[in-house]
Amino acid sequence: MKSSRRNFLKATGLACGVATIPAWVLETEAAEAAAINKTKLADIAISLAKKLGASYADIRINRYRNESIFTREERVQNVSRTQSFGFGVRVLVQGAWGFAASHVVTPESVRRITEQAVEIARANAAFQRRPVEMVPAPKVVAKWKSSFEKDPFDVAIEPKVQFLLKLNEAAMKAKGASFVTSSMSFQNEQKFYASTDGSRIEQYIIRANPSFTVTAVNRSTGDFQTRSSLQGPKCIGYEYMEKHPWLDEATQAGEEAVAKLKAKPVEPGKYDLVIHPSNLWLTIHESVGHSTELDRALLWEANYAGTSFLTPDKTGKLQFGSTICNFFADRTQPEGCATVGYDDEGVPGQRWDLVKDGLFVGWQTTRDLAPLVGQKKSYGCLHADSWGSVPFPRMPNVSLAPAPVDARLDDLLADVTDGILIYGNGSWSIDQQRYNFQFGGQTFWEIKKGKVGAMLRDVAYQSRTTDFWHSCDGLGGKATYEINGSANDGKGEPGQSNAVSHGCPVARFRQVNVLNTGAKKV
Amino acid sequence: MLTEKDSKALCDKLLRFTKADDAQVSVSSEDFSHLRFAANAFTTSGRRENATAHVTVWIDKKRGAASANDIDDASLNMAVEEAERLARISPVDKEYIPTLGAQRYKPIGGFVESTVNVPLTERARAIDAIIRDCEKSGVIGAGFHHSHGDASAFATKNGNFHYNRSSLVALSVTARTPDGGSSGYFLRNHFDVAKLDVSRIGREAIQKALTSRAPRTLEAGIYPVILEAQAADDLIRFGFDARSTDEGRSPYSTTGGKSKLGETILDERISIVSDPWHPELPTSPVAGDGVPAEKVYFVRGGVLENFHYSRYWAKEKGKAPTPGPVNQIIEVAGPTASVEEMIKATERGLLVSRFWYIRSVDPRTALFTGLTRDGVWFIENGKIQYPVRNFRFNQSVLELLAPGNVEMIGPPERTSSSESQGRGAAITPAFKVKQFHFSSQSEAV
Repeated sequence: MKSSRRNFLKATGLACGVATIPAWVLETEAAEAAAINKTKLADIAISLAKKLGASYADIRINRYRNESIFTREERVQNVSRTQSFGFGVRVLVQGAWGFAASHVVTPESVRRITEQAVEIARANAAFQRRPVEMVPAPKVVAKWKSSFEKDPFDVAIEPKVQFLLKLNEAAMKAKGASFVTSSMSFQNEQKFYASTDGSRIEQYIIRANPSFTVTAVNRSTGDFQTRSSLQGPKCIGYEYMEKHPWLDEATQAGEEAVAKLKAKPVEPGKYDLVIHPSNLWLTIHESVGHSTELDRALLWEANYAGTSFLTPDKTGKLQFGSTICNFFADRTQPEGCATVGYDDEGVPGQRWDLVKDGLFVGWQTTRDLAPLVGQKKSYGCLHADSWGSVPFPRMPNVSLAPAPVDARLDDLLADVTDGILIYGNGSWSIDQQRYNFQFGGQTFWEIKKGKVGAMLRDVAYQSRTTDFWHSCDGLGGKATYEINGSANDGKGEPGQSNAVSHGCPVARFRQVNVLNTGAKKV
Repeated sequence: MLTEKDSKALCDKLLRFTKADDAQVSVSSEDFSHLRFAANAFTTSGRRENATAHVTVWIDKKRGAASANDIDDASLNMAVEEAERLARISPVDKEYIPTLGAQRYKPIGGFVESTVNVPLTERARAIDAIIRDCEKSGVIGAGFHHSHGDASAFATKNGNFHYNRSSLVALSVTARTPDGGSSGYFLRNHFDVAKLDVSRIGREAIQKALTSRAPRTLEAGIYPVILEAQAADDLIRFGFDARSTDEGRSPYSTTGGKSKLGETILDERISIVSDPWHPELPTSPVAGDGVPAEKVYFVRGGVLENFHYSRYWAKEKGKAPTPGPVNQIIEVAGPTASVEEMIKATERGLLVSRFWYIRSVDPRTALFTGLTRDGVWFIENGKIQYPVRNFRFNQSVLELLAPGNVEMIGPPERTSSSESQGRGAAITPAFKVKQFHFSSQSEAV
């Protein structure tokens, strides 16, 4: 990859249809290209950190670009482009971490910030009770680019705006649709990593995140209902906007928002649930993704995100769910928002099992977590959401494998006498050890004697993680498998936001507790 | 952090660079540092400095925005040109209102230099003392200490300018018993580091963990509840947006396009106020769209008195833009009671320390779900009898504070919601209420 500024300017020049780049831009580019040599800056940081006593050090010099367009009905509310550029230095001195970061990317600044990072580590080392240890990682010199067909930053703004306005028009076609908001945002991470291991890694990552919500208001009753898009962010390019049938989904969403006003309130009780991937991904995220984070199990997140009902002694012993449940972590998964070439401490992206045949078998680890459970290598889960954030353990893509047979939605419905079919994610909440959860959705449909019937409303399902996954007795095959995810998964102190995906097939669960959230007493 | 002079110079430069019809520019800068600990040992610690310039322009009423954190001339120029390019190719902004001319903003406090520059060794020693207290008490400590200095300035093409600095230091501590059977938490923050009682925060967390040992299981259901101020702040957040109410999609919308304005919606002792000059909660004197903030009552004596009108929506509706909210202060009329007095007055009920993972379930009724965390105790005959396991709740905030449900109210104090990690702040009292809806039981600690 060449100069990041060069790429940025080329992209924006193309995007805006500018025939010639203004002279001052070229001057800036030339000046920056001359001034910012990432390898040289890395050499300064790494050699200085070593000289000052660091047993390990890394520097990340990163640029983050974001483009967002927000609309409502026939209006464009904002079109914006942002970028953030800077570097962070992390050092390990006498068993204590120190980190410092700045937006001023110059050799002088790199020296000053490296000294600060060492100073912070030293101040803390005097009081450190448990010196940090790391498993080794191989030296890597590589360039990696995420998979995309069309870089969204090379696509002009006009068709994007027109696309969203057409989508809004489609949603508002339904009689009774009152409002619609829609947006698309694109992220580009240009990451450079260097460490005392000798690694030098450059990565270029693109993610796309479109969304919309339709609202239907009944003025005479004072009621209102919403229907949001079922699709989430993906690690692909602008082709996401061109290949998914967005206009069809918006038309359907408008109709369903209106239909929800007249839908039958659910009768609370126990139901068999057939859950579409557009809903189930979030349940996997909260109950499987977070519970298998080793830092939580070791109490590192006790003060904020919480711990986990899983503990190291349960590895290979606890039956997490029914034997058809196979959850895997995968930082190489196509379209996965947490897919990378390498994590933020140089460990290659990889795939491994978390739950095999229902048995809990694996953790998410980093280089300083792995030795605490006797492992000799990291699974590569270290991540920072910015050049200015301390990298720490973050979730890889965590997915539920589809059934090995070609089971379809109808096959799962066929065996349900009295159940509910659920699409889309709505409200969500789970406790700090990942036992008790409650999830809503976007649309809910009665299942009577194997057939999908009337629309329901005000549905939320509430369960306990292991009870829920033990109740899973049916999975769809590959044809029902979809990948969905979150662009903003929060964790850590200071809080950081991580993009992550979860693939799964449609799945069936027996006798799950269902609440009516519209009732006077829920 | 940028000084007022430097910030003004950058804002002026951005405005000079733009050829747009109208523009609002801003420059923000920060100095942030933290120390995190867990399992009775330090985990991460760091510092970050940053400065960002934001540009929003309108050309023929078409809007574009850009930002960048390189603040040299060429980069600022590039941000301006980027915003202008986006504006030229955007449709007309139908909600465009010309930016404000010069305004008068009454100064606030809220910045203390020493809060931003907490010495490294002093911080490490203070956290070490908390860990020692945890070790002595036989509990496992985790926590997060962070300090911030933020400077922000904005200017408009029509002549407005304002610069503000703020500081914040926060500490939260969680203490857990080694058997994993109980947990306690305490959080406080302040703009003045001298007013953050670090040792108290550790003590309170440890005490809650120790008094929560061997919790019993109670059936979920409707209970009388005492919410400590932390729990109240975690749960109670109000928004009074006029536009969504007028559009029929807020809990204050009623039938026929009407609203609950003028109706009694909360207990008559409760007022919901925004006040940038509150001595314990100094907040920016700039409300939305640059409007100079004033003290605003949204609920006074339980009656819904005001909605928030943006400049655009105010123009549409022939109203004045609302000079707030910039913060949330719950004022209490009449006598207040301490949590101890509330416990004494409770025949049968629960004391709740904190809530967690609170999410909206039904915006029509302001219904939220979430869980108790880090301390729930059963009260009978005016005394705490024993700790109990956590619950999931599904509770409307409006019903929680509705007339007839609120029995006693504590003295309002500075709080910070635990999900904000101590970044947010509010003035909140403890409450004793007749009914709180717990819908299921959770074994999480």
